[in-house]
Amino acid sequence: MEEVKKQTRLGRINFRDQRILMVGVILLITIVVSAISPKFIEIRNIVAILQQVTVLGILTMAMGLLLISGGIDLSIGNIMVLSGVVISKVITGGGSVTWALILGLLTGLACGLVNGIIIAKSRCLPLIITLGTSQIFLGASLMLTGGRFMNFKKKFDFIGRTRIFDVFPVMLIFLIVMVAFAFILLNYTRFGRRIVAIGGNEKNAYLSGINIDLHKIIIYSISGIISGIASIVFVARLDSITATAGTGYELRALTAAIIGGITFDGGKGTIGGAFIGVLLLGIINNAMNILSVWPYAQTAISGGIIVVAVILSNLENLRKASR
Amino acid sequence: MSYSYKGKTPVVDMRQISKAFPGVQALSDITFDLYEGEIHCLVGENGAGKSTLMKVLSGAYAPDGGEITIDGNTYEALTPKLSQELGVGIIYQENDLIPTMSVAENMFVGLEKVNRFGFLDRRLTEESARLEVEKLGIDLDVRRKIEDLSVAEQQFVKVLKALVLKPRILLMDEPTSMFNVKDVGKVLDLTQRVAKQGISIIYISHFLKEVVQIADRITVIRDGVVVNTYKNATRDIDLNIITTDMVGRSVDMFYIKERHAIGPVVLEVKDLQLTKDSPKVSFEVREGEILGLAGMVGSGRTELVRALTGADRFYGGSIKYKGEHLTLRSPKDSIDQGFAHITEDRQQLGLMLGQSILENMTIVGLGKKIKEFFFKLVGHQKLVAPLVEDLSIRTPSLFQQVQNLSGGNQQKVVLGKWLFAESDFYVFDEPTRGIDVNSKAEFYQLMSALTKEGKSIIMVSSDMPELISLSDRVLVVRKGEITGEIPQEEISEERIIKSALGM
Repeated sequence: MEEVKKQTRLGRINFRDQRILMVGVILLITIVVSAISPKFIEIRNIVAILQQVTVLGILTMAMGLLLISGGIDLSIGNIMVLSGVVISKVITGGGSVTWALILGLLTGLACGLVNGIIIAKSRCLPLIITLGTSQIFLGASLMLTGGRFMNFKKKFDFIGRTRIFDVFPVMLIFLIVMVAFAFILLNYTRFGRRIVAIGGNEKNAYLSGINIDLHKIIIYSISGIISGIASIVFVARLDSITATAGTGYELRALTAAIIGGITFDGGKGTIGGAFIGVLLLGIINNAMNILSVWPYAQTAISGGIIVVAVILSNLENLRKASR
Repeated sequence: MSYSYKGKTPVVDMRQISKAFPGVQALSDITFDLYEGEIHCLVGENGAGKSTLMKVLSGAYAPDGGEITIDGNTYEALTPKLSQELGVGIIYQENDLIPTMSVAENMFVGLEKVNRFGFLDRRLTEESARLEVEKLGIDLDVRRKIEDLSVAEQQFVKVLKALVLKPRILLMDEPTSMFNVKDVGKVLDLTQRVAKQGISIIYISHFLKEVVQIADRITVIRDGVVVNTYKNATRDIDLNIITTDMVGRSVDMFYIKERHAIGPVVLEVKDLQLTKDSPKVSFEVREGEILGLAGMVGSGRTELVRALTGADRFYGGSIKYKGEHLTLRSPKDSIDQGFAHITEDRQQLGLMLGQSILENMTIVGLGKKIKEFFFKLVGHQKLVAPLVEDLSIRTPSLFQQVQNLSGGNQQKVVLGKWLFAESDFYVFDEPTRGIDVNSKAEFYQLMSALTKEGKSIIMVSSDMPELISLSDRVLVVRKGEITGEIPQEEISEERIIKSALGM
């Protein structure tokens, strides 16, 4: 047993390579930017960064779980908005906050369930299916709002504004809970092990007695609920919503997950890695603001940093391939 | 050189070719030659070394020893490019045609005919294609799409495509394995027409009756050695001579299995029909028995066992296990009954290559052996470690990715995941394919130990010594049908081969 323990540690070190690399990139940016502008490492700024990435972070958990299971969901941005629109409808219609939250989450669940059933039963590519359903959800939001800007008139902003001890924003609890949820689900439950197995080799998983369809439906449903939870934070921060507000979030979540070492092939990657990816994206944006980089150049620069980060993280594979 | 075909010197002359893979000597001192316009057939069991020899000629493998002379130039090894330049064309068993393209387009994939502006020239393509078709004197519209053609016609196109490269030597690997009798005749006829153009043909097949119809010479190989080469100018060689050559191994290749008492019937398969048109199959398996399923590759053995484990749906018939009727909608249903399915292709079907031994071995038994809702993967080490030791899987860590293990160790992990799930009924499909001799022996011991505990095994195998040493009974499958049942005391290579070839 003594020996087995030692082996465990060896295995772990090997497994973490890529995440360590990304943490390195984060540290490098932190050191360089703090040297220029010490404001960057003040508690206030660190909290601000976390606040800025809360919505993205929650959505990335959904995307990460899906990618690890060999799937993908490009509709999470628009599911989030549709949930937000439902919440706004309930609130503006005079409903209670509780009902708004319940219906918002149910909307997310329903959207994810639809995705899951279609993908499991039709055996079509999830990329294409969710690209399509994404448009349906966006369309639903447009129809419900009539394309208008929905204001919550501060009935719903306590989540966005409240701070514990004047420092710690309540919305961060949502982020922490969701990261913990995804982490536990993936690493400490049978369901988690099975979705990794499906992502690793679906045929093998099927022959090993795993009910593939059921697991897919559940994982897409979870993705829908997580998007619904993201929407609570989203509307609470903005205190308003428009149908097109979520466009692009799914791709940023995808980027964060991939930077963090999750691959399109499935079966690989960690929740911790995905979270590091989220942090990296947040830090890049924040650093550029602190350094007052010309706003019109920021998009291109952050794109460049993402490309470099992904190439760095792929170096090991490159080395393997050339052998 | 005692043999000379129509007074010419050989086009290809392979001398003392040897090739070893880890744990197996695939070819030893093989000598093989081929004359202009000759059809030289290569026969032997699955795994005898036919394909390896052809891969040496096509440049896919470099031999460890020996030399290859083509047109008077001698080489130690060929590369695929060199082989092609020397005029070696290959027709593979697999279909590599593009179904949505026409016959003519398929023939010129990679060598597209263009006009002077660099655009595709459809008319020129079709004319060139038609020219080739006419040269062979066959009837085929080059404008038809591949997907609209019969299997035999598709085989024609594969030959035509190979001929576009103007080969002087053509390798045909099991060209008729997919066909019915009528179409086989067409392909044999085509092969002879190609040879008449002066192209030399190496024809690999395990359909001996066909071979005898077209071969100028027949070479039998067994376990990587040429047993005999026969002239067949009058097309009337005795098939019995060839089958005798194909079998007959030395005793030391066999594993000695400990025999023990066999219990009552546990599995009853009655009138099992895979599809509406396939034959009905019935058989039984007893407790503690190893039932060997013999037959040529593609005879339908894998399909049969896949139906048994619920991997594929079947059309009709019934399966009873321990007196109870089984309803199999998916593998889960058979696994719940204690079935284990060690698949033919461990890399594609049996493992998560990028994941650890620990994850792979626990995946089937997750529900049965690991009941907690929350758990730590690391904690399962103590559940798996004894099993890894019993199986003597050689690895530095349980967290080792399975893709880094040797074939033998990978196969032990596959078995391990079913042992972990405490399965009772084991279906092995080619249990020791591609693994080294030592692992093979260990695997046989494990299988033997399983049956001693009263577990039952169905074993699909193309490895003759394996079938003979391990099986308590052998069923021979041919074209999806059970054509022979051989009790333990009568199992011999000759019986199996003859039954498998339909003689």
